[in-house]
Amino acid sequence: MAPINLSHRRTHNLLLISKLLSLRDTASPLTLVLDSLEQPATPLLKEYIRRAKLSKVHVTLIAFETLKQPDGVDAFVSTRRKSPADIVKEVSAVYQPVAASNPSRRRLILIDSINPLLNSKRVDTGFHLPSFLGSFIAPTLPSAKVDASLVVTYHQDIPELPQQSPYSPTPISELTYLATSIITLHSFSHVLAQKAARDRSLAPPVFGLEEEQEGVLLGRLDRLVGTGKAEGIVIELEHRRKSGRGVLEWYLLPPASRYSPQHLKEIVTLLDDNVLYNPPMERDLVAGDEEPTSTFELGLTDRQRREREGVVLPYFDAQHNDGPGEGGRILYDMGEEDDFDEEEDEI
Amino acid sequence: MPSQPPLPPLLAPYVSNLPDSSLTLVSSILGATSNWLVLRFLHAALSSPSPNVAFGSDELQNGTKKKVVLVSFMRSYEFWRTEAKRLGLDLARLADKQQFAFIDGLSELFYAPQPTATSPSISPAGLGSSPRTTLPMRSPPGVVPGRSPQPAGPTVTGVRGNATSKQAEPGIAKKLHFSGRGLASLDALEKDISSVIEQQKSSMEDGDELLLIIDQPDLLLAATGPSMGIGATEMSEWITALQQHAHATVLTLATDAPLIHNASTSGGLATPIETEHAALVIGLAHRARSVMQLRTLDTGAAKDVSGVLRISRGGGLNVSEESLEEREALYFIQRDGGVKLFGRGES
Amino acid sequence: MSFRKRNIGLSPGVDRNAVPNATSQPAVPETTPGIRPSPDDGRPTTSTGTRSLDNLLAGHAGLPMGKILLVEENGTTDFAGALLRYYAAEGVIQEQKVHVVGVPEQWGRSLPGLIGSAESLDEKRSDRRKDDRMKIAWRYERLGEFGAVAGSRGAPTNPGEQDTAAKEAPAFCHAFDLTKRLTHPSITNMSFIPVMSSKESPFLAILKRLQTAITSSAANTIHRIVIPSLLNPTIYPPNASQPEHVLQFFHALKALMSAYNTRVTAMITVPLSLYPRSSGLVRWIELLSDGVIELCPFPHSADAMATSGAATSQEEPPQGMLKTHRLPVLHERGGGSDQNVGQDWAFVLSRRRFEIKPFSLPPAEGDTEAQEASAPGGMPKKSDLEF
Repeated sequence: MAPINLSHRRTHNLLLISKLLSLRDTASPLTLVLDSLEQPATPLLKEYIRRAKLSKVHVTLIAFETLKQPDGVDAFVSTRRKSPADIVKEVSAVYQPVAASNPSRRRLILIDSINPLLNSKRVDTGFHLPSFLGSFIAPTLPSAKVDASLVVTYHQDIPELPQQSPYSPTPISELTYLATSIITLHSFSHVLAQKAARDRSLAPPVFGLEEEQEGVLLGRLDRLVGTGKAEGIVIELEHRRKSGRGVLEWYLLPPASRYSPQHLKEIVTLLDDNVLYNPPMERDLVAGDEEPTSTFELGLTDRQRREREGVVLPYFDAQHNDGPGEGGRILYDMGEEDDFDEEEDEI
Repeated sequence: MPSQPPLPPLLAPYVSNLPDSSLTLVSSILGATSNWLVLRFLHAALSSPSPNVAFGSDELQNGTKKKVVLVSFMRSYEFWRTEAKRLGLDLARLADKQQFAFIDGLSELFYAPQPTATSPSISPAGLGSSPRTTLPMRSPPGVVPGRSPQPAGPTVTGVRGNATSKQAEPGIAKKLHFSGRGLASLDALEKDISSVIEQQKSSMEDGDELLLIIDQPDLLLAATGPSMGIGATEMSEWITALQQHAHATVLTLATDAPLIHNASTSGGLATPIETEHAALVIGLAHRARSVMQLRTLDTGAAKDVSGVLRISRGGGLNVSEESLEEREALYFIQRDGGVKLFGRGES
Repeated sequence: MSFRKRNIGLSPGVDRNAVPNATSQPAVPETTPGIRPSPDDGRPTTSTGTRSLDNLLAGHAGLPMGKILLVEENGTTDFAGALLRYYAAEGVIQEQKVHVVGVPEQWGRSLPGLIGSAESLDEKRSDRRKDDRMKIAWRYERLGEFGAVAGSRGAPTNPGEQDTAAKEAPAFCHAFDLTKRLTHPSITNMSFIPVMSSKESPFLAILKRLQTAITSSAANTIHRIVIPSLLNPTIYPPNASQPEHVLQFFHALKALMSAYNTRVTAMITVPLSLYPRSSGLVRWIELLSDGVIELCPFPHSADAMATSGAATSQEEPPQGMLKTHRLPVLHERGGGSDQNVGQDWAFVLSRRRFEIKPFSLPPAEGDTEAQEASAPGGMPKKSDLEF
C-alpha cells in the first residue's frame, strides 16, 4: 500500500472514530455494538462514558443486565418488569430536569444488552423495534434541542429465538439495517492468532463457544495473550456516512490502564498501524541489499561471468545427436588430467 | 478430614472474597459435576478461622462475618450436609447459628405430596428402619453413615409427629413450591427465597456479607419452559432480582454440548429447551464476573484426573478496577472428598 | 502370593475403616434381605439383578438406595429390557415391592426364571476372571468382587460374626434364566401403573400412585421403580415428551428418591433412537439421573464379531459396547477415582447372564494357550474348576 494512501486513510478514519466515540456532531444517532463472550463490550462502553464525561454529555444507561449504577452514569434506568413503553417514558423523564436547566445539551443513551428485550416472552406481538429505538433519538421536547445518541449492545452469541412471524426480518438484521454505525468487537489476541494462521495459509483458529467443545463457554485465556503486549480490543467499524457512502475500518482501543481517565488526545489507533499486527517490513528490505560478510570472495568478476556464460553444458551437445537411443548419452572429452580406469569406467 | 487442605490454595482466590454485587458462574457437564466446587464456596465463606487454614484464605476472615444462603434445585439437604461434613463444616450447627440457610428446591418443587399426617409410618425418622421398640432416634438403623444423630434429638421427632408445617424439618429453612405459570410463579419463588435472605440479614452486622448460592436454576427453566410462559429473559430477571438481595451470587449451570451448541448450529431446528437454555447461560456469562467451567478431560477419562477447571473472566468483570487471572487446571476428587488441583503435567 | 488368598482373608464391612461409624450403626442387611452396605462407604445398596452391572457401579457393588439408574439403548434391540427384567426379578426374589410403569401385567409374567444365587453361578467365572484381570490393582478387584467374598465363602477373620452372616444373609444377587419364567410367591405383589393420557401431565397420576404406595407401606419395605422404555410413543401419550411434563416428573421422582433415600431405587430405560443423546431433553433427563449407562449393540452379524471382541476363544463374543456416562454417588461428588470410569466396556447377553466386561481386541488367534500359561498365580485349583 502506498504510504500516502495510508496516511490519508489514517487521518480520515481516526477523525471518524474520534467523532463517533466522542459523539461529536451527532455523527451516528444509532450505533450498534456487536460483542461476544470472547470480547465483551464493557471496555468500549466504559470508553464511551469516559469521553462523555469529558465533554459533559448526559449519560443514561438502560440496564437489562447491569445490576448497579456504574461510575460516570448520570441516570440509571432499570428495566425489570417494565414494558418497552414504560422504559421510553422513564428514559425521557430522567432527562427532563437536566433539559430544563440546560436546553442544548447532548445526551448519550446506552443499552447494555438488547437481547433480553428481543427474547422476552412478555413483550407482546405489538412490539416494534424501530419505533422503540426511534423514540429515544427523536426529541421528546420539541422546544429543547437534544442531540441524543443511542448505543445499543447486542450479544452475538446468544441464540435468537424463533420468530413469531416467520416473514418479518430477524431482530438482528433489523438492527444492522437501522444502525448508522456498526461496531463489531474482537479480542486483539484472537485477531493476532487468526492473522498468524492466515499468514501461514492455515485455517484461522476459533475460540470459546465456536470451538464447540463440551463444557467450554469462554476460550479467552491469559496464556494466549502471552507477554501482555496484545492487550486492548479490536474495533471493526462499519459506518454509513450521511452521503450514503460506507466506511470500513479496523481500529485498536488500548486497555483503560494505559491512559489516564482525563486523557484528551485520541487513543484509538488503526489496527494496521499496530506493531504486533503489522510488524514493520522495511528493515528486512534494507537488509536484503547488504551482502553477507565472509572471508571468501563470493562474487564474480566480469570476465569470470562472461566465461561462465560461454560454457556449453554437456546435455546441450547430447541433444544434437538425434539418433534413436542416443538421447541419454553423456559426451565427454577426456582431458589429460583424467585418470581413466578401464575396469571401472567402461560404458 | 481429607488429606488435602479443604480449599486448595490455587482455588482460594477465586472462591473467597467475592466483590460486592458480583456474579460467579460455575458451569458443569454430565460427567463433571459442580457440587465439589459449591462446597468449596461454602467452605471459603463459612469455615471458622483457625491458625492452620490454607494460606490465602486466612486473611479474609478478619472482621467480616459471612453468611450463606444455598438454594438447591437438584440435591437434597442430606447430600449437602453429608458432603460438607467431609470438609469439616457442620451445616446443621451453622444453621442454628444463623450463618447458613438451606432452601430446598428439590423435595416439593413440582409435586407436593399429600398431607399424610394420619399415617404414622410417614415420619421421615422412620425411613428404612425396621420395627423397633426402643426410643425414637433421629438416626435410625440403616441410615447413610455420616448422618449422625441430630442435636435436636427425640424432641424434634415428637414435634413432627403432629406438626403439619413443612418448615419443621431441621436444617431446611424453606421448601420451594412451583405453582401456576409464568411470572407469577417465579415471583412466588422469589418471595420465598428473599424472605429467607432477609431473615438472615436481620441478624447481620455492618460489614457482614451474605453469599447467595443457587444450585442449578437452569432446571427451573428446563422443566417449565416457554410453553409455561418462562423463558431465558424471565429467568435471568428472576436471578437479577435475587442478586439484589445478596452481597455476591454464585450460580451453577449446565453447559453440556446439546444444551449450548444445538441452538447455534442446527439453524432454527433447535428445540425451545435448547435455545432458551443457551440464551440463559450465555446471557448470564455476559453478566458474570468470573466463569468457572468444569469439563471432562478432552483425551478421555483418566484414573487420577476427574476433570478440567477453567476459570475465565466473564463479560461483567470490571476490567479497569480489578484483575482476575485466567487459569486452567486439572482437578482430582479423592475418595475422602479432598480435591487436588494441579496444572497439566504436574501432579 | 496369590490374590485369592488375600481376598479370602478380608472380611467385608469390618475392614473398611473408611467408614468410621459403620459399626456403630446396625447394618441394614441383617434385617432386610437384598440390602447390604456398600464396601466403598457403607451406604445401603441393593442389587440390580445383574452381577456385573452391580460391580460396575463405582465400587458400591450394587445400586445405592435412593438412586435412579438410567439405561439408554441405541437401535431397536432390547438389551436394556433384559437388564430391566433382571432388576425387576431380583426385586421379586428379595420380596421388595416392585412398581412397573406403563406396561401391562404380561410383562411381569415374562420375568426370567431363577437359577440360584449369582455367586453359585459365578464361582467358576470369577476365579478365571481374576486371572484375566490381573492388571487391575488388587484392592479394586476386591471391591468389584465384594459380593463373592461376602456371600459364598465365609471370611475366616472374624469367625463368629462372619459365619452367622454367611448362613443367615440370603444371596444379594441372583442369576436368572431368560428362557424360563419366574415363579415366586411374591410375584403377584408387583404393582403395575398404567400410563393414562390426560390433558395435564400424564405423569401426575403415576407420581401420585408411587407416592401413596411408598408412604403407606411399612417402614421397612423396600421399593423398586421400573420404568421400561420411557417416552416410547406406543406407551406414552404425545404430550409426555414435553419438557415441562417429563422433566418435572424426573425432578419429582428425584425428590421422592431423596425423601426415602434408604427405601427406593429406580431403573429407567430410554430408547435413544427416538430420543437421541444429542438433544437437550435427553441431556436434562440424564442430568436428573444418578447413573447413566448407554448400550450400543453391535450390528447383528454375530459371525463377524466372533473374532473381534472376545478376549479368549472360550468367551462369547460381545454383543455391544457399554458406555458409562455417569455413575451414582461418584459423579455427584465430582467424579474420578474409579477405575471403571472411561474404560471401554462390552456386554454379552446369554441365556443365563448379562455380563459386562472390559472391551479389548483379542490377541492373535492360537495364542490363547500361551496366554493362559503365562497367567500369573498358577492357581492350584484352577484346573479342577475350569476343565
